[in-house]
Amino acid sequence: MKFTIQRDVFVQNIQHVSKAISSRATLPILTGIKIVAFDDGITLTGSDSDISIEAFIPAEDGDNSNVDIERPGAVVLQAKYFADIIKKLPESTVELTLNDQMVTKIRSGSSEFNLNGQDPDDFPRLPEVEEGSQFTLKTDLLKALIKQTAFAVSTAETRPILTGIHWGMESEKLMCTATDSHRLAMREAGVEESGDVEFTNVVIPGKSLTELSKILDDSEETVDVTVTDNQVLFKATNLLFLSRLLDGNYPATKNMIPSQSKTNIQVPAKQLMAAIERALLLSDGKNNVVNLKSLNENELEITSVTPEVGKVTESVSCDAFEGEELRISFNGKNIIDALRVIESQDVAIQFTGAMSPFIMRPADRDYMLHLFSPVRTY
Amino acid sequence: MAGRIVMHVDMNSFYASVESADDPALQGKPLAIAGNAKKRKGIVVTASYEARRKGVKPPQPLWEAKKTCPDLLVREPRFDRYREISRQMFQLLLEYTPLVEPVSIDEGYLDMTTAGIRAPDIAASIQKRIMEELKLPCSIGVAPNKFLAKTASDMKKPLGITVLRKRDTKTLLWPLPCREMHGIGGKTAEKLARHHLHTIGDIAAADPDFLERVFGVSGRRMYERAHGNDDRPVDPEAAEQFKSVGHSRTLPKDASATEDILPVLKEMAYSLEKRMKKKHVYASGVQLTIRYADWTTVQRSARLQEPSSGWEPFYQMGRLLWEDYWSGAPVRLIGITGIDLVERGQAQKQLNLFSYKEDQETYEKEKLLNELNRQLGEGAVRRGYFKDSGYQ
Repeated sequence: MKFTIQRDVFVQNIQHVSKAISSRATLPILTGIKIVAFDDGITLTGSDSDISIEAFIPAEDGDNSNVDIERPGAVVLQAKYFADIIKKLPESTVELTLNDQMVTKIRSGSSEFNLNGQDPDDFPRLPEVEEGSQFTLKTDLLKALIKQTAFAVSTAETRPILTGIHWGMESEKLMCTATDSHRLAMREAGVEESGDVEFTNVVIPGKSLTELSKILDDSEETVDVTVTDNQVLFKATNLLFLSRLLDGNYPATKNMIPSQSKTNIQVPAKQLMAAIERALLLSDGKNNVVNLKSLNENELEITSVTPEVGKVTESVSCDAFEGEELRISFNGKNIIDALRVIESQDVAIQFTGAMSPFIMRPADRDYMLHLFSPVRTY
Repeated sequence: MAGRIVMHVDMNSFYASVESADDPALQGKPLAIAGNAKKRKGIVVTASYEARRKGVKPPQPLWEAKKTCPDLLVREPRFDRYREISRQMFQLLLEYTPLVEPVSIDEGYLDMTTAGIRAPDIAASIQKRIMEELKLPCSIGVAPNKFLAKTASDMKKPLGITVLRKRDTKTLLWPLPCREMHGIGGKTAEKLARHHLHTIGDIAAADPDFLERVFGVSGRRMYERAHGNDDRPVDPEAAEQFKSVGHSRTLPKDASATEDILPVLKEMAYSLEKRMKKKHVYASGVQLTIRYADWTTVQRSARLQEPSSGWEPFYQMGRLLWEDYWSGAPVRLIGITGIDLVERGQAQKQLNLFSYKEDQETYEKEKLLNELNRQLGEGAVRRGYFKDSGYQ
């Protein structure tokens, strides 16, 4: 194997596949990056038990020449050293030459490294993705779906299934749901031409989707998604992203959404967020407790207390108010998290009493919903 | 704090005395309370004075006690009964003054300043009534402060009444070895000895600044106590102003199996629930204490999902801690403590989206209860308990 490659392109793709490489891999060879040179380009592969990423660097990309391949071949190099070395090399191009002892010579300008490689045949093959449900998503939509749900997954290992995001597809609509059992985020998206693809209980680790979102190129138009029994494959032009699915049944969440409400309000998202953020400065304990009270038809009061420190009182004017008076406590940080991903001027909130979960959604759209549990004082 | 009168009431070999009171056949006989009496493998936790006179020295293996005292009678402990009697004993003390500070299941302080010179007579009356009504012996110390009162009650057992004045310190306390001072344990005594301080008199004669340098605040305290000074008030709330509520139990025999530990843990979790509910507090965390047969002690704690006063979360968390941290070595003592306490009305819980309906029910019930109590007077209506489970 021998090729010369544009260093910046190489660095970027190495960083992408490194997202799948864990320093505590179960198989020692999985701490490495597999590099394969073909006649028409290079593939880089990184993998751990959860995620596998394969990036393809085409020899020619439009008018640009990325790689000049002299001899095809393959090797596995320690990701930890390799990534840092390539990043720090002095020139804009890098030459890699593999000798028959699996030693890889890396040259750039006046610099030369010799890295011991491992046999690429020892690197586990990416799992074959058998036939599964297939559909296509716009890249920006996929990123939005991830951003608007991934924050709500559970980080505790007590209920592992909740560390994932549930995907379900029905009548050309993809519904993404995440909850840590104190708050829940739901985002729905129309998927045209998904044909008769339908599935449920596809639970993708939240971490997988967050990593995917980081490496998906904005210039990319669409991503093909294939869902099988135990894995999901995202395929962009020069990228394959494979994640395992979580085992187990995701809890039923649809019936958790209250269908009736006692108090409905509409408030400007920015003001609400700023008021809660300030209230959180004096909130006590791990629950980030903030209290909300309706003063009259167009004014809300938000308060928070830490007995030894002090108290904060915020007033927020609301655009609309209907129903019963309101007095409720909740985790302010959870509301902030949701407000950050609601890209709307106004939010509508529906309450069903101080001891019941309440709903928040963008006032002008209904494809997104956030559910929160209140805090009880006893 | 001039002119106070403090009493220390100390029940004499409490567990053994309760057993004798309940079973006249045991009276005046050498009696030992030990777990696993039948198997002869247990450890004597308490012994009657008759048994002590014949050489039984708790804590001691039962077989050894039997060897020194062949006619020793043995009973297994009944902790629920002891707690009940303890409650009655404190109830009786409260008839004399509201200023009763319980220290443990079998001892407490009373502030009897108002009694003036009648204090020794009142002490005699208390001792007589406890003997007549509960059939239990106790020793009482009467002194101007807690430290001297406790020292006094220790001087004559059983059934002693000892009046200790501050001026007695020199003659009665100073000749005693340091170890005899309450609050000085083996380690501290050793350290004192290294500085050539062997008697309480040595401490009294030492430079208080030197003591403070070597022992910190407790050095200063030792000095004050050696001079018979102690300005701690008798505080009925003292037991309430705590950062934790806990129970520990010396096992009747060293346990090496989880099955032997879990029932003890569960029973202590029940008592924990009762005490926390009585004090209107919730614990935010649980701490497990494991003392091994070689006396090495580990304490491990974990936070609860939300502040709680129910035995179940205590037990479950205690069990998890046990499973995670028990080394497998024989265990002598096990303890469970509710930590990071919050008062009622200050506890907060973020409801669970999957199970909030349970909380709604509790909330509705409590609202109803509060409403009824407001109308009928506080305490008119309370929640019931199922006797067997200890759970509401």
